[in-house]
Amino acid sequence: MLTLSNIHRSFPGVRALAGVTFEVRAGEIHALVGENGAGKSTLTKIAAGVHQPEAGHIAFDGAPVVWTSPGHAKARGLHVIYQEFVLFPHLSVAENIFIGHERHTRLGTIDRGRTRAEARDVLTRLGVDLDPRSLVRDLSVADQQMVEIAKALVHNVRVLFLDEPTAVISGHEVELLFERLRALRAQGVAIVYISHRLEEIFALCDRVTVLKDGQHVLTAPVAEISRERIVSAMVGRDLAELFPPRPASLRADRPVVLEARNVTLPGRVHDASLTLRAGTITGLAGMIGSGRTELAMAIFGGLKMSAGTLTIDGRTIAHPTPAALIALGVGLVSEDRKGQGLAMLLDVAANISAPALARFSRAGLLDRARERAAAEAEIAAFRIACRGAATSVAVMSGGNQQKVLLARWARICRRVLILDEPTRGVDVGAKVEIYRIMRALAAEGVAVLMISSELPEIVGLSDHVVVMREGHVAGTLEGAAITEEAVIALATSHAPGGVERAA
Amino acid sequence: MSAAAIRTPVQRLLQGGTPIYLFLVVLIVVAGVAAPAFLSAGNVSNMLQQLAPLGIVVIGQTFVILLGGLDLSVASVMATAAVAATSFSGRDRDVPAIIGVTLAIGVLVGLANGLLVAKRRVSPFLATLAVMVVLQGLRFTWTHGAPSGNVPGLLRALGSQTWHGLPYALMLMLVLGAGAAVLLHRATFGRRVYLVGGGPVMARLVGIDTDRITIAVYVISAVMAAIAGLVLSGYVGIVDNFVGRGFELDSIVAAVIGGVALSGGRGTIGGALAGAAVLIAIFNAVLLFGLPVQAQIIIKGVVIVAAAAFYVKRH
Amino acid sequence: MTTGRLPTGLIAVTSLLLLLLALGAALSHSFIQPGNLLNVLEQATDLAIVGLGQTVVVLTGGIDLSVGSLISLLAVLTSGLIDSDASMVLPVVAGVIVLGALLGAINGLTVVWLRVHPLIVTLGSGAVLQGITLLYAKGPVGGVPDGFDFLAYGRVLGLPVAGVAVLLVFVIAALLLRLTPFGRYVYAVGDDPVAASLMGLPRRRVLVVAYAVSGACSALAAIYLVARFGSGQPYTGANYTLASITPVVVGGTVLAGGRGGVMGTLLGAYLVAVLNNLLNFLDVSSQMQLVVQGLIIILAVSVVIDKRRVVA
Repeated sequence: MLTLSNIHRSFPGVRALAGVTFEVRAGEIHALVGENGAGKSTLTKIAAGVHQPEAGHIAFDGAPVVWTSPGHAKARGLHVIYQEFVLFPHLSVAENIFIGHERHTRLGTIDRGRTRAEARDVLTRLGVDLDPRSLVRDLSVADQQMVEIAKALVHNVRVLFLDEPTAVISGHEVELLFERLRALRAQGVAIVYISHRLEEIFALCDRVTVLKDGQHVLTAPVAEISRERIVSAMVGRDLAELFPPRPASLRADRPVVLEARNVTLPGRVHDASLTLRAGTITGLAGMIGSGRTELAMAIFGGLKMSAGTLTIDGRTIAHPTPAALIALGVGLVSEDRKGQGLAMLLDVAANISAPALARFSRAGLLDRARERAAAEAEIAAFRIACRGAATSVAVMSGGNQQKVLLARWARICRRVLILDEPTRGVDVGAKVEIYRIMRALAAEGVAVLMISSELPEIVGLSDHVVVMREGHVAGTLEGAAITEEAVIALATSHAPGGVERAA
Repeated sequence: MSAAAIRTPVQRLLQGGTPIYLFLVVLIVVAGVAAPAFLSAGNVSNMLQQLAPLGIVVIGQTFVILLGGLDLSVASVMATAAVAATSFSGRDRDVPAIIGVTLAIGVLVGLANGLLVAKRRVSPFLATLAVMVVLQGLRFTWTHGAPSGNVPGLLRALGSQTWHGLPYALMLMLVLGAGAAVLLHRATFGRRVYLVGGGPVMARLVGIDTDRITIAVYVISAVMAAIAGLVLSGYVGIVDNFVGRGFELDSIVAAVIGGVALSGGRGTIGGALAGAAVLIAIFNAVLLFGLPVQAQIIIKGVVIVAAAAFYVKRH
Repeated sequence: MTTGRLPTGLIAVTSLLLLLLALGAALSHSFIQPGNLLNVLEQATDLAIVGLGQTVVVLTGGIDLSVGSLISLLAVLTSGLIDSDASMVLPVVAGVIVLGALLGAINGLTVVWLRVHPLIVTLGSGAVLQGITLLYAKGPVGGVPDGFDFLAYGRVLGLPVAGVAVLLVFVIAALLLRLTPFGRYVYAVGDDPVAASLMGLPRRRVLVVAYAVSGACSALAAIYLVARFGSGQPYTGANYTLASITPVVVGGTVLAGGRGGVMGTLLGAYLVAVLNNLLNFLDVSSQMQLVVQGLIIILAVSVVIDKRRVVA
């Protein structure tokens, strides 16, 4: 149905795809797996006409094609459900589902009644109870995901890509999604299913393709391959090598550095508490949209908590602000590296010095020589690959950008470092280094809080794990109790009586 | 590594803005060859005289645009400053009072703009537009629609006299420009401006008080406009309610031609001033070439779109 | 979009308008007379019609700063080409509307092709158009035959023709925006341009058409102003560039795009007209009227603020 042959593509600082070949047949569900930064998203975007390949060919329905735009690919029946939703926040659910395929009256005007009725219909088939008239902006992340899926079902789809559709939904909704996908498969639709969750792949897919660092590793029928084989193909080395060893003894009596009590952010975080101890790495797990990022942001003062108390080294902080927290030795690396982390127009030196400008200035004037020297030292210490402190961060790879952010905070955050998805879009080599840096910081006494959607990371690195679900802290795990199964159970289980969702 | 790391101050000044300086030099050479009168002492002095008030406004506008904003109230501030200059006896002993009043107006307008943008989250376009309208209404009310009075001799000298052909107003612009360049490119304040302009959320997350930076930047812009208004009133000699009309758009045009990105975080004072010089040189050359005065506006329109398209392609 | 509930902007402008009317009724008996209210309806014509085009552009996330110069150019062309010859009225009026749409479309094409911010594009094209206008006319030019002022001052059954026509145009525009797929894409493009491309929506066509609509609206305003003043002048439109933004934002359309609608703009234009009328009744000087207008803008745009600010 769709064949991508020998695709090459690079971006400033990264070689995203180096000669990848991938095909999906009509009537099959083909799993596409790989670590963050393996090239799955780039491959999807090339298949959909968002990016053009630098070399290689695309064949659709047996004939070679060159997509001129995403609209071109869509018109031929190729639909993608991206991980970052393609939704219009100020249009209604029904309007979003039918955007570009509006239901007409005989006059050629939009048939609002039919649009609503058909939208309600498809949502019911997905088991979602949503008012088609509500604005998408007001929906929870899980409901937005269901709207994205509903969009795919109402169009005349021939090839369907789903990028991590289950990252934000659970239980019953996942079951109904799988049911719909199997029905589409029976109708001859070619489906590409991207997921981190291997059990889903074994439950749903016919074949699996593994990418690693922009290269094709293997393609095999799911029936003929083991879980272990997939994992080792993805990682390229043993899990044990990936994570630095935990310190031999880790006592619960390590001093508490930061304590957040009963933090509430209306609609997003409810009554959540968290304790960070010196020298430990605390993993903050939970599904996307479960309130992890918001809790961390509230602690750091980036979002205003409506209730709750924050204590750092025994001192209560009445009104947390980033500036106040930084002064106390707390830092935060956002999950949105380009939007909220780096100053993309500035160089490495300016990015590293950003929260510590006072240290590099005298009488209001910057000491650029000292700033540059400090940056060069960090570049060496963190093994940041770049052409010196004056390199623009925009041209660097994701891994090196992330190391710039770690270098920014490492010297000034001597108490707490909060890392939100620290290895997103980072290759395996840089990942290992980032894990080492985190462990080294912990060994120096820093309390590290790591938010991650990657279960192996949570399990492999954390000393404690706090799991969130629907804005609440669902439970905490420690020591040998930290397993992928235990985290999933806490993250997805529902209150007795059925599905309960935060508004 | 070392080539990039060790940069001379000159290179720093030119950083990111080389094309505009080259363009300015080419423009001057071409115009000078095509019409020798362009480079005559009198004409050069005249152009520099005109450059000064625009350049002073551009300095302030650059701060605002670097932050991702716009200041549409500058022309209104200029006219208000000019009205203030003639609202006293017209003698030199009133000059300190005039300067005091003018700067106070600048600070107040800047505070109003800055507070609306920072604290009320009003888009800069609307905030400064509304403040402009209010200020205009207040000025009309104060002057009853017909301002009169004399500009003191001292201000007239500042606006129109030269020192061996070099206008005093230009010297003032250069001093202010140098001060602004130091503030923007050497001081921590300037670094914070670039950080906020490049990413306001990121800036807050590294502990920068973005509201304070925003307010400060709008105050700088309004104060610069007030100074430019005094200079221009000294140049014109008389005053009406529209001294400085068109400066709000011309100052934005100059900054954009000079490589200051409307999206914020990119551009330099030197580039923006060179952009202002390009604008003045084009205006002047149009007249020297015997083209109708209307061609000035047409060419200005084409140049700003072309310059913006050039920078879009470049990044 | 407004599905299901009234947006806060529309509620705000409606209540503000009612408040002003009530205030006027309380302060002056003659203010609330039907005759005066019909005058107000008529006086809102120019601002409303320019605001209509501006609204469509703002909904796509853009802005049109060329409307003032475009009005000036089309106004001098209208009276210059008609030149008091009654037989020229129809061809010139039709031609001016087409020319307005074409010049607007060029704005849209430039935005699409050069990927330059609409503010810069229309600022530039506005300067070019103003220059051309001044090359064509340095003062009032030409004239219109008797009866042309019917377009501005005409009454049928006691109702102002211009005011009723504007009302009709707005209703049609609102229906087109709400009931056609293209209208929906206008909102979608302004809401999220990247998502619009990914969904294969005709983003470029939407932009070109939006600026063309704004150009055509400028043409209508130009014709109306010529009818009102008897001839076009090279600075007829100068004040409309920024003034056209006022009814748009006061009416609840957000400068960032994707939110709002034309009915809000109509109410916004009425609000400005009622305000000016009321201030006249109260003998407030025209200078102070400016102050009040500016304060109303500030009030309208700073009262409702998005509380979902990412980082406080």
